[in-house]
Amino acid sequence: MAPKLPPQHSLQHSSTAVADGQAPDAHHETPKGVMRWLLTTNHKEIGSLYLIFSLIMFFIGGIFALVVRAELFQPGLQLVEPEFFNQMTTMHGLIMVFAAVMPAFTGLANWMIPLQIGAPDMALPRLNNFSFWLLPVAFTLLLSTLLMPGGGPNFGWTFYAPLSTTYAPPSTTFFILALHIAGISSILGAINIVATILNMRAPGMRMMDMPLFVWTWLITAFLLIAVMPVLAGVITMMLMDINFGTSFFDAAGGGDPVLFQHLFWFFGHPEVYIMILPAFGIVSAIIPTFARKRLFGYASMVYATGAIALLSFLVWAHHMFVVGLPLAAELFFMYTTMLIAVPTGVKVFNWITTLFRGSISFEPPMLFALAFVVLFTIGGFSGLMLAIAPADFQYHDTYFVVAHFHYVLVPGAIFAIMAGVYYWLPKWTGHYPHERLAQCHFWCSIVGVNLTFFPMHFAGLAGMPRRIPDYALQFADFNLVSSIGAFFFGASQLIFVLVVVLCVRGGKKAPAKAWEGAEDLEWSVPSPAPLHTFETPPVFHRAQHGE
Amino acid sequence: MWSVIKSVLAALIGVQSDFQRQQDFSSGKPTTFILVAILVTLIFVLLLMVVANMAAR
Amino acid sequence: MHSPWRWLLPISFISTAAQAQSSGWNMPVGVTDISRDIYGLHMTIFWICVVIGLIVFGVMFYSLFRYRHSKGAKPATFHEHTTVEVLWTAIPVLILVGMAVPATATLKNMYDTSEAELDVMIIGQQWRWRYEYLGEDVAFNSSMSTPWEQIRGEEARDEHYLLDVDEPLVLPINRKVRFLMTSDDVIHSWWVPDLAVKQDTIPGFINENWVQINEPGIYRGQCAELCGVNHGFMPVVVHAVEEEEFEIWLAERKEAAEQEAMGVDREWELDELMARGEPVYRAICASCHQADGQGAPPAFPALVNNDQLIDDLDWHIDRILNGVSGTAMPAFRNTLNPVEIAAVVTYTRNAWDSDTGDAIQPAAIAEKIVQ
Repeated sequence: MAPKLPPQHSLQHSSTAVADGQAPDAHHETPKGVMRWLLTTNHKEIGSLYLIFSLIMFFIGGIFALVVRAELFQPGLQLVEPEFFNQMTTMHGLIMVFAAVMPAFTGLANWMIPLQIGAPDMALPRLNNFSFWLLPVAFTLLLSTLLMPGGGPNFGWTFYAPLSTTYAPPSTTFFILALHIAGISSILGAINIVATILNMRAPGMRMMDMPLFVWTWLITAFLLIAVMPVLAGVITMMLMDINFGTSFFDAAGGGDPVLFQHLFWFFGHPEVYIMILPAFGIVSAIIPTFARKRLFGYASMVYATGAIALLSFLVWAHHMFVVGLPLAAELFFMYTTMLIAVPTGVKVFNWITTLFRGSISFEPPMLFALAFVVLFTIGGFSGLMLAIAPADFQYHDTYFVVAHFHYVLVPGAIFAIMAGVYYWLPKWTGHYPHERLAQCHFWCSIVGVNLTFFPMHFAGLAGMPRRIPDYALQFADFNLVSSIGAFFFGASQLIFVLVVVLCVRGGKKAPAKAWEGAEDLEWSVPSPAPLHTFETPPVFHRAQHGE
Repeated sequence: MWSVIKSVLAALIGVQSDFQRQQDFSSGKPTTFILVAILVTLIFVLLLMVVANMAAR
Repeated sequence: MHSPWRWLLPISFISTAAQAQSSGWNMPVGVTDISRDIYGLHMTIFWICVVIGLIVFGVMFYSLFRYRHSKGAKPATFHEHTTVEVLWTAIPVLILVGMAVPATATLKNMYDTSEAELDVMIIGQQWRWRYEYLGEDVAFNSSMSTPWEQIRGEEARDEHYLLDVDEPLVLPINRKVRFLMTSDDVIHSWWVPDLAVKQDTIPGFINENWVQINEPGIYRGQCAELCGVNHGFMPVVVHAVEEEEFEIWLAERKEAAEQEAMGVDREWELDELMARGEPVYRAICASCHQADGQGAPPAFPALVNNDQLIDDLDWHIDRILNGVSGTAMPAFRNTLNPVEIAAVVTYTRNAWDSDTGDAIQPAAIAEKIVQ
């Protein structure tokens, strides 16, 4: 594919400075203060902006989760009214998915993809700046709905019609606008990543030589480009139903509420993989580094990622097993969903055979990556159970589902992001993160995450529905433990902030190749990485990187 | 042609020998692989639909 | 229990036998053949996951322990092994096919709603259930009966906190009962774990499900699909009784319905209407407009000191009969009978401080409904 696309991008951007015969840092006047960050087109600065933004949003979404957990600490209504409770569950989901996890991965992509493929910057730097600055706008708008009369969105992050249309609070139109803006940001970011990966690889680097983080992000970017327009479409239909008298989802006017769910999940299921595929890429970089051994099956990892991406378009209705689908459809989606366990299993097996007969050390990034493998697999197991359609009639919309997707997303996606941050902090700051504190953060997080989410399996199986502000007495013990765990987990994330701040300010100096077993191109530039790297493309030696 | 189909099927289940892959990458054209892969995917979906419909009967 | 594929699943036999009742930690075995099949599938896939987990994590932790860098482990250089890769693709596929076969059989059984002996219409409403025994002229609403004082912590919580209703759905055992499910407003989901029935009720569409209960008893569940503010407060209670008992109950309900219908024609006293209206108000209206009539503005207007309501009786009745489109206020012309509507209108006009003295007659309401 690559040779057919115009290769001149790298020339246009990277070599301007060199061609002009100036020093790299002086080729344009750098604005100072706020303007520097508002106008930056540098992939590293934009990457940092994305990461800082997502960390702030992670804490805001976390506070919403803690409001929910505080109310559920014991039976009865104590702290908040059911109306506000519903706004909190909804906002927690929306903020964590669209404002914390997705921007964090985009931030890592911004920082690391150019470094890993030997490119001087992203292919479209101004677009990159625009995609970032759309995000604060979108989420300020979304958060402001909480202060509007009638309150913010209260229909769950899946916003099923007609609860989110005919029966929704007046602020829903703002919610739709905010989601549109966030969606545009994601699409533009994805286009930028695809353009960068396909056009700007170092000479000699073929597709099958790319690090897995780059591969998984390439596939993720295609998923984003494919499904974000579907989300845009479905929220536009909601907008029409609410404001312009159409009846897409209103049965009274000949519409179909189930159509909403089909459209939403056609976006929503690939969205789930958008949040986990880059995590696979990060873990596939970290495990070989600290096992000091090549990844067992590089090619099968790439294929498995492709297979998961492909299957993700064929499984959407497994979120809808109890809406009354025809039997044949039910069976089709059960089979495809079960099949997705195969490529996912291949990935886990590959990580484990990479560990086998390696030479393993346990630095903080490795701790998080190993926890990811174990806990993500547990989330995968409950996913396999949920795939069995008849059993899903019992699991659906209970806390078992809540436990499942939190296992996939918290010790899955978020642990992978943290592993990635610890792994690349030496490259970003030139210092190693404080080892003791990082270990403390790890063990607190492990205890917190399991204390919070494991009892939810039991509560769900015993019959507790999700999204309820109060519960029957037999669920009291599980909820008590979950709530304690949640506050512990939330508090231990403050250690993470401390580690990052300390690491930016100082610490043990890191060499260019900060980790003994690290192989990819980013470790060939100095630590901390200078503002401009790879202005002349590096020569990629395949021999160094396997093959 | 047969070797292209074989490679695509191998990719589908994520298994391929190093030797065969080197050969595919050096001799094959990407377009043929992509076309065959899209075709195989469609056949796969149709096959699953037929199985589901038969099981539902 | 009778399916030919059962020999595949010895594990589920053991666990089913070992656990007759839900321990409170696991899915209940339930009281229908389908719920037992589902429990069997659940335990089988659970044990499959446990075995795979033990092997995978076993190898992983062995490697982590055995090949530590600090113990001077030297890394091997092997990578890619076609036989291993084929095996770890093929074995999961075989396991999954083995799971798909019994799951398909159970699912087909669940979808077979033919030859039902009794049809019950289940209608979801914000936030109660309405049950209609089709062809029997028996219909009633079923709302949560747990008092708000318990939810607010002002009273001790009883055993079935949040899981009690004023009128349970009564079903006969050993008979195939077909459910036809729909909704008047948003999507709800009718769920009773012991019956393994969970089905969304969707406005404008009718879903089907069925149940054949093996043991008499009281089975409790809840709405499972977020349906607005009081989603957590719309429990389901099913009272499964012997067949003779069910026939007696049904006959009683029919007679009571006839009595109520006759009551439409006679003149009612204010006290009588107030007494009849209070339970209706508590069951139907109080979840939004609150027990004291103060509502929760702006979403749910107050009924106390509401001038428009007090001044304009026709407007008041029209709101209740036809609902207010675009809000959570549903139309009650089909879900409450004329006596209930007359009583609840009278109640809201005389309870609290609103002593209008109006005694609305059921006959007048019945006339309006016909219009």
